[in-house]
Amino acid sequence: MTDLLAIFIGMALINNFVLVKFLGLCPFFGVSKKLTNAFSMSMAVTFVMLMASAVTWPITHYILIPLDAEYLRTVVYILVIATLVQIIELFIMRTNYSLYSAFGIYLALITTNCAVMGVTLVNTDEGFTFVESMVSALGAGTGFGLVLVLMSGIRERLEISQLPDSMKGLPVAFLVAALMGLAFSGFAGMV
Amino acid sequence: MVLLKLIKRFYAIIFLTLVVAISATLLGLTHSLTADQILRQEHARFMAYLERMFPDMDYFEHEEELYVIYNVDDEIEGYAFIGSAPGYSSTIRVMVGLEDKATVKQVMIIAHTETPGIGDRIEDEDFTGQFAGLPVDRIYLNSDDVDSITGATQSANAVIRAISEAVEEIFKEQSD
Amino acid sequence: MIKWIKEFSKGLVVSNPIFVLALGLCPALAVTNTLDNAIGMSGAVMFVLLCSNMLVAVIRPWVSGIVRIPTFIVIIATFVTIVSLVFQAYIPALYESLGIYLPLIVVNCMILGRAEAFASRNKLSLSIADALGMSLGFMAAIVLIAVIRETLGTGALTFFGITLFTLPVLDEQPVSLFLLPAGAFLAIGLLLAVFRKWGLIKND
Repeated sequence: MTDLLAIFIGMALINNFVLVKFLGLCPFFGVSKKLTNAFSMSMAVTFVMLMASAVTWPITHYILIPLDAEYLRTVVYILVIATLVQIIELFIMRTNYSLYSAFGIYLALITTNCAVMGVTLVNTDEGFTFVESMVSALGAGTGFGLVLVLMSGIRERLEISQLPDSMKGLPVAFLVAALMGLAFSGFAGMV
Repeated sequence: MVLLKLIKRFYAIIFLTLVVAISATLLGLTHSLTADQILRQEHARFMAYLERMFPDMDYFEHEEELYVIYNVDDEIEGYAFIGSAPGYSSTIRVMVGLEDKATVKQVMIIAHTETPGIGDRIEDEDFTGQFAGLPVDRIYLNSDDVDSITGATQSANAVIRAISEAVEEIFKEQSD
Repeated sequence: MIKWIKEFSKGLVVSNPIFVLALGLCPALAVTNTLDNAIGMSGAVMFVLLCSNMLVAVIRPWVSGIVRIPTFIVIIATFVTIVSLVFQAYIPALYESLGIYLPLIVVNCMILGRAEAFASRNKLSLSIADALGMSLGFMAAIVLIAVIRETLGTGALTFFGITLFTLPVLDEQPVSLFLLPAGAFLAIGLLLAVFRKWGLIKND
């Protein structure tokens, strides 16, 4: 149990995907202008991360490793993620249209989100068991969501603050990310 | 005619299947071309570390996880084992050479991607040198005989943990 | 020919993938802590982008609309795996220090973006120009960031084991902040602001 907690905290805070591992930066800067969008995006990402980890784990351990074909993992993982995203998109569109109109466009963006691919790669590299993989996906998603929501809150305030022209938009977002990164480096050594 | 219609209908699926098949073939080919080289590379690196640690080494044998190093006269030159633990930004792998089954001869960091200039000070002689001559059971976190690195505590502690955890595993098995 | 040069040069400054389009940011931040990593990464990206752009431009008449994106992804993933196998076999030190960022080239938005937005709509020669320009622009950007971060963070600059120069004061007291993740954000943010001030890139 403590091991699982350590993995969760490690993925969510210490090795935060956005601020420490630099994964999922495109949505981090692209979708973090409004709080509601940021929240929807991080929910969608967490969900896809969990699904992707759940599907890639058996594929890795029951197909790729026994066949000694681990070098195919990049191709396999990205195909799995792309397929999953499509299926989830279709499923939500058919069953719950209001949910689809809220999450739809984010789902399409997730295929090329390095954070999802990153989780599956980290799970394999660390040799996690199935349960550990799920916890690590949940941790990564939570960490991603936390930072995205925090960032969007800050950016909503930045919109109405006085800034030099050349700092507006992306540059100041990077500086804010740097300060958040410094704050998050305080979590190092927690586990 | 029917066949043509079928192909047209499932063109997308057939096309993608074809792409994946070609991709897998290509990768299989690349893999078989590079596999030997990758193994050779890893083996050469491993041997280079062992030879740096034991200049008089002639050959070695496995004893579970422990490598027993022999010199030309078939005498035991020393022992070595590999340990690993998660550091600040990567998994740190260390190779530990032993004089006899209780005393450390040398510690080498064989793989890590810790922060250059900060975490990578674990490679410095100042840090790794302190292990030489220590009894293996004196190496653990917060031991009086082992110093961490200021500013790179997590990386340094990972090295210490890598050693102590490997020691525990190897010598517990052997004393059973 | 003029068109070729136009497509080639746009990636360098006007639509520089990192500073202007803000694509492919993950590697730009993650592997710019040393110059070696930055060069290794941009070499790999250049190979993948060039090969995938060329292949996509060639097979573009046969690619079926609905499986367009999956096809491109498989093509890119194939070249990424080839690069990482070759790196692992011949330059293992670089392979290890790039870590998971090497397979992650597959989700580099820049490469899929070029395949989808350019190569699938243009002929081979122009797609080559586009790939070369974009990857050189990418290389210039991340090498610049790496030079700044390594110089300030360690007080010296090394290139595959050769020390290029050492700074007098910083050598003793380097600003190690620049080697930390936070320093990566700081360096890019400040660079972006400076480029905008100088009018090299337009404001939002």
